[in-house]
Amino acid sequence: MITAGIDLGSLSTKVLILEDDNILSTSILTTGEEGALVAKKAMDDAIKKANISFEELKNIVSTGYGRRLVPFAKQSKSEMLCHAKGSHWLFPKARTVIDVGAESSKVIRINENGVVEDFAGNDKCAAGTGVFLDTMAKALEVPLEEIGQLSLEYKEKVQISSMCAVFAESEVVSHVHKGIPRNDILAGIHESIADRIFGMVNRIGMQNDVVMTGGVAKNIGMVRALEEKLGTKIYIPEYPQMIGALGAALIARNSK
Amino acid sequence: MILQHFENQESGIMNAIRENPESASPRKKLALETARLGKRLYSNTDDLVWAGPLIPFDLLNAMDVTPAFAEFIASILVSTDAGPLFFENAEQAGYASDTCGYHRMLMGSALKGMIPTPKLLISAMSPCTGGLAAMENLARVFKKDLFILHIPQKESDHGVRILADHIRDMAESVSSHTGKVLDNDRLRKAMENTNKTREILSDIYTLAQQVPSPVNGRDLSNFGIVLPLFFGTEVGIEIAQAFYDELKSRIKANRSGVPGERIRLMWLQNRIQFKNNLVKMLEKEFNASIVVDELNVITWDPIDPEDPYIGLARRSISSPLNGTVERRVKQIVKLAEAYKIDGAINPCHWGCRQGTGARGLIDSRMKEIGVPVLNLEVDCVDPRNFAEGQLITRIEAFMEMIESRPSPW
Repeated sequence: MITAGIDLGSLSTKVLILEDDNILSTSILTTGEEGALVAKKAMDDAIKKANISFEELKNIVSTGYGRRLVPFAKQSKSEMLCHAKGSHWLFPKARTVIDVGAESSKVIRINENGVVEDFAGNDKCAAGTGVFLDTMAKALEVPLEEIGQLSLEYKEKVQISSMCAVFAESEVVSHVHKGIPRNDILAGIHESIADRIFGMVNRIGMQNDVVMTGGVAKNIGMVRALEEKLGTKIYIPEYPQMIGALGAALIARNSK
Repeated sequence: MILQHFENQESGIMNAIRENPESASPRKKLALETARLGKRLYSNTDDLVWAGPLIPFDLLNAMDVTPAFAEFIASILVSTDAGPLFFENAEQAGYASDTCGYHRMLMGSALKGMIPTPKLLISAMSPCTGGLAAMENLARVFKKDLFILHIPQKESDHGVRILADHIRDMAESVSSHTGKVLDNDRLRKAMENTNKTREILSDIYTLAQQVPSPVNGRDLSNFGIVLPLFFGTEVGIEIAQAFYDELKSRIKANRSGVPGERIRLMWLQNRIQFKNNLVKMLEKEFNASIVVDELNVITWDPIDPEDPYIGLARRSISSPLNGTVERRVKQIVKLAEAYKIDGAINPCHWGCRQGTGARGLIDSRMKEIGVPVLNLEVDCVDPRNFAEGQLITRIEAFMEMIESRPSPW
């Protein structure tokens, strides 16, 4: 049975096509334009890569911030459920899933069957998400892909006190003006996000194994900062930003 | 402008019922009576007293003094076109944007001269000091006196007696500021009306507990907060009776409030006061019904019409919003059990001790009885801070979680 999951996120749109237990193809595009249009483009791309026709897809489930905008999806499910299902499939021992995407961060506790038992999300603002890191990278004039590694090479961590993305940016700029090395500032930024996520993890209660999903899981500095805070190893999927789409495809497969 | 709003609302409802008598519903009856009350507040004809939560409105009604319930007026102003402007006025005057939206709305509209001037203001020290501060500010704007009612945090004979005396002082203060005398026969009659309303309310809540429930998520929203405005009056009895009759007829016709009810929810504290799609989405997509609101509860015994002050004092003290969070949590757990709810939604109203401050204690106690709580982060009054997409995601995830677990009952 061939199914697809589509995760229409605020920054990128991901499609994953699944045949039974095999991933046939994946596609990822910048959301940027009208949701329905990007959804179609990403789907066309994934279908082409999988070398199948659209009609062969038996079921399609959408998730993500724009999940209701996908005209060809038969059902839509929350990101929490999809990240839980995707993580459980890849890591059956996972009990805590940390999903940090572009504009939201979530912590999800799941049981041995991958069923969501509890979850917590970021409050009110974008501090603690991918967009926040992007803003900080720009403020420091460092490519986003490099900030994680640079944050690990610090001498003295700087304290970032502001919980607001906008105020944090001005705080970072003032540290730069004082001549504080970028690595130290970056270490502080990563720690401040780790603090926020640590709070969410504690709210629902951490259980091992811990899996991290979402684009920010590709940031090694973020993973290390969190591991240090949580005192445990964090498992990272090969393509962490695809886990929502994977979960959606699995739900599509298992729906009657 | 606001008077016009209430006049339009009243005539709109009356015309709709005249054109289609079958469209009459208890909710429309409640809306009609609140529009009429709003009209009286803005007509410059009545003696008004501004009052906050826990103030015995029935006592004011017995004196023929119209209660201008602060939070109620704020929630009505939100739905007018000028709502956002009032928030901006308050913020420009220095009221922080993360304080309670009810109070910001009151201050913004007062500064613009858009709320009616009372003869007196009354505020209790409970449930929130923010509310008291707002009333102090209003008193300054209106250049009127503020009477502060000290409500003990827990019930004791001594505390009840002190509050009873204090309520008597309050009535005297109202009298001296309005020139209205409290007639003993009127007071007795008002208490009888209050008791009758209480009795019907109790029956309504018993009916709402049925599985499936005859109420949908909208029928009784704000009910326990707004209805006390009509305590002591015949209108209060009529409104309550209309709801009772409607629920009874739904049960007789085997009709649940939400068709195919699958998930039963409790809404904590107060509802989101501006237009939104969340409740409808719950009903439509998940067959989920908000079967009980935390404040739709009777925590007090009938009031002795021959000695009303003691009963009024007990009622104010017994409010779930008064006293410790622990006491409030006990009441929430009782409701969860009575209504057999699958989950509770706590909007965690911004800047509110009752909303955000109590969150951890509510969560942990509810967890013990197997009922999950969804904490949102909503400004229930200021729509400028409303991110519906984020909220829908959380609510969806919460519904999916409830669907995947066995019922706690």
